[in-house]
Amino acid sequence: MMLRRAKAVLSPSPVVFFWDLDKTYLKSEFETLRELVRIPFEKPEEKVAVPGVVPLIRGLRNVASQAGRDVRIYFVSASPPQIAKAIKDKLALDGIEYDGIVFKDQLHHLVRGKFRNLREQVGYKLTELLKDRPARADAREVLFGDDWESDPLIYSLYADIVAGRVAPGDLDGILQTIGVDAALIAEATRLAAAITPAEAVSRIFINLERRTPPSAFQRFGPRLVPTFNYLQTAACLFQDGHLSLPAVATVAEALTAQSGYTPERLANSLADIERRGHLQPLNAIAVREYLGALGALPRRIRRWQSPWQRVRRWFAAQGTHPPADDVVINYHTLAADWRASR
Amino acid sequence: MPTIAVDAMGGDSAPDEIVKGVAQASLHTDIQCLLVGDESKLQRILDAIAYNPEHISIHHAPEVIDMAEEPKAAVRQKRRASILVGAQLVAEGHADALVTAGNTGAAVLACAQYFRLIRGVRKAALASVYPRQVEYPGQDQLALLLDVGATIRCDATELVQFALMGNAYARRVSKLPSPRVALLNMGAEESKGGDVLVQAHRQLKNLSGINFVGNIEGNDLAKGKADVIVCEGLLGNVVLKLLEGLAEVIVDLAGTARQENWRWKLGFMMLAGSLGKLRDLTDYAAYGGAPFLGFEHLLIKSHGRSSAPAIANAVKVAAKAVRDGVTREIAAAVGRL
Repeated sequence: MMLRRAKAVLSPSPVVFFWDLDKTYLKSEFETLRELVRIPFEKPEEKVAVPGVVPLIRGLRNVASQAGRDVRIYFVSASPPQIAKAIKDKLALDGIEYDGIVFKDQLHHLVRGKFRNLREQVGYKLTELLKDRPARADAREVLFGDDWESDPLIYSLYADIVAGRVAPGDLDGILQTIGVDAALIAEATRLAAAITPAEAVSRIFINLERRTPPSAFQRFGPRLVPTFNYLQTAACLFQDGHLSLPAVATVAEALTAQSGYTPERLANSLADIERRGHLQPLNAIAVREYLGALGALPRRIRRWQSPWQRVRRWFAAQGTHPPADDVVINYHTLAADWRASR
Repeated sequence: MPTIAVDAMGGDSAPDEIVKGVAQASLHTDIQCLLVGDESKLQRILDAIAYNPEHISIHHAPEVIDMAEEPKAAVRQKRRASILVGAQLVAEGHADALVTAGNTGAAVLACAQYFRLIRGVRKAALASVYPRQVEYPGQDQLALLLDVGATIRCDATELVQFALMGNAYARRVSKLPSPRVALLNMGAEESKGGDVLVQAHRQLKNLSGINFVGNIEGNDLAKGKADVIVCEGLLGNVVLKLLEGLAEVIVDLAGTARQENWRWKLGFMMLAGSLGKLRDLTDYAAYGGAPFLGFEHLLIKSHGRSSAPAIANAVKVAAKAVRDGVTREIAAAVGRL
């Protein structure tokens, strides 16, 4: 799978970063009922960010600002507005500047007796993403989610709607298969029809919080990059031109200082994302050399190939992967599989 | 945290089960695993399973020594075989120990080629563990038998050194404060077994810091009389194969008997719980593997048929042995001789 340097780097188009909150930004624990009940009562200082995410978001804004690019950061959360204050305070505590945040009005669904909508995220998130798209028609977008709910499906579907690859008529059928509420389907198709097609979404990052096997995401094509930690994400964002090497280093430093990452763990993470084909060898070498010079990586790195051999090997492997644009996602099958897995 | 090199291509179910085992270890421990084998094949397997990449690195080795290959010739011809590359990586300090489920002969030769013997150690010994009766509370359910094939014949000093190695391993890994060490012989009396065994017996009896319980005979092997049983490689190998063969025959007989008539079938159903416990006890997956002792670095040799849990356990055993300083203790004990 090949990642090309995004055109956004060269063009003055604004860049928009959409972030999911739970399990992507916040290390929310809701595997047990007790943990779930505790969430609304958590104080901002009790909420914990996923290791490395804070310096990464700060880096995205700083690098764009330094390059004179217009950058916007939005959060789309499935949490209810009742805990908005705690979340906003947490973001302020972390020093995260953002341009917008939306919460899911669960009470609205509860009052209307639409209990299924309480858990249903596809219709909610998709419409939230589509809502303001006409206002940012020239923007390039990067989306961040996790492997807990439906982020890969929602984000990919959104990207292909915006690109004009999913017609409103098709969208209706897909959302029906998923089981989205009829009112939301109507809204989503209306919003989709108003969009001017553009290849806006350059990358979708999925935080593998559940350690889902990476191959589970192959069907979403090379645009979607599953990452095990934010150093992997940062390295790919460097490759796409959204982060500088010093910004990648701050993510590595945060992982080491705050989360006990060892140089070996950092080195292994970089090697993994490179082996999986998401980080090109030349970019991997650049990141490795920079972090190595800072002492963030082990002094003795095992090398069974020279950098030149790695690059040659990588280029040879490219022939075996389909070009990014040739990957066609069958959303009808995806939707049916998604429904079956619920 | 120690780094354990794992020969990903060695074993009947390699590389799938080996990689899955390492993936399991990566999710549940902080042990750093260095998979040695065909990089793209290994990554493809990882891609399809849950793993933690922070604890796994891969070192490419393009060749494989198959289970059935003649070890000497294979080691000579396949210089880039995973077992050889793995041993080399450990010798060069990229990892602290090696785990393999591959060709035993090739593993022994790889160690002999790349690892240095601990100062004072004359011969390395391949150990094996097997389940037996427990005689006292806290006793390990597994006994350590060495040597099981790295040597053919040994002299008395070498047997004494094997005893010290086994003692160190049982103390550190099985956490037995004072393991019972015995010589495998044809009689319990000191004078039995010929010059080598008589001399070894005398030396071990006079040695401090080791709980030498004397000679044991073949019929004591299944009892809990000793925790570490020492013998020369030829005998150890015959014993090991005999135990494995007997276990297979018993399972086979049980299977046949179960089909005979309804009373036997009923009997087996009533015994199912106990048989399950017995199966768990004799399950090689639970103990992962056995060590090759005497070198400055450790090799854990897993069963050729090792499944993922067996490999995960072998990795844990290797890490434990490294962390608890088994080779240091052997060096100290041999140094005192």
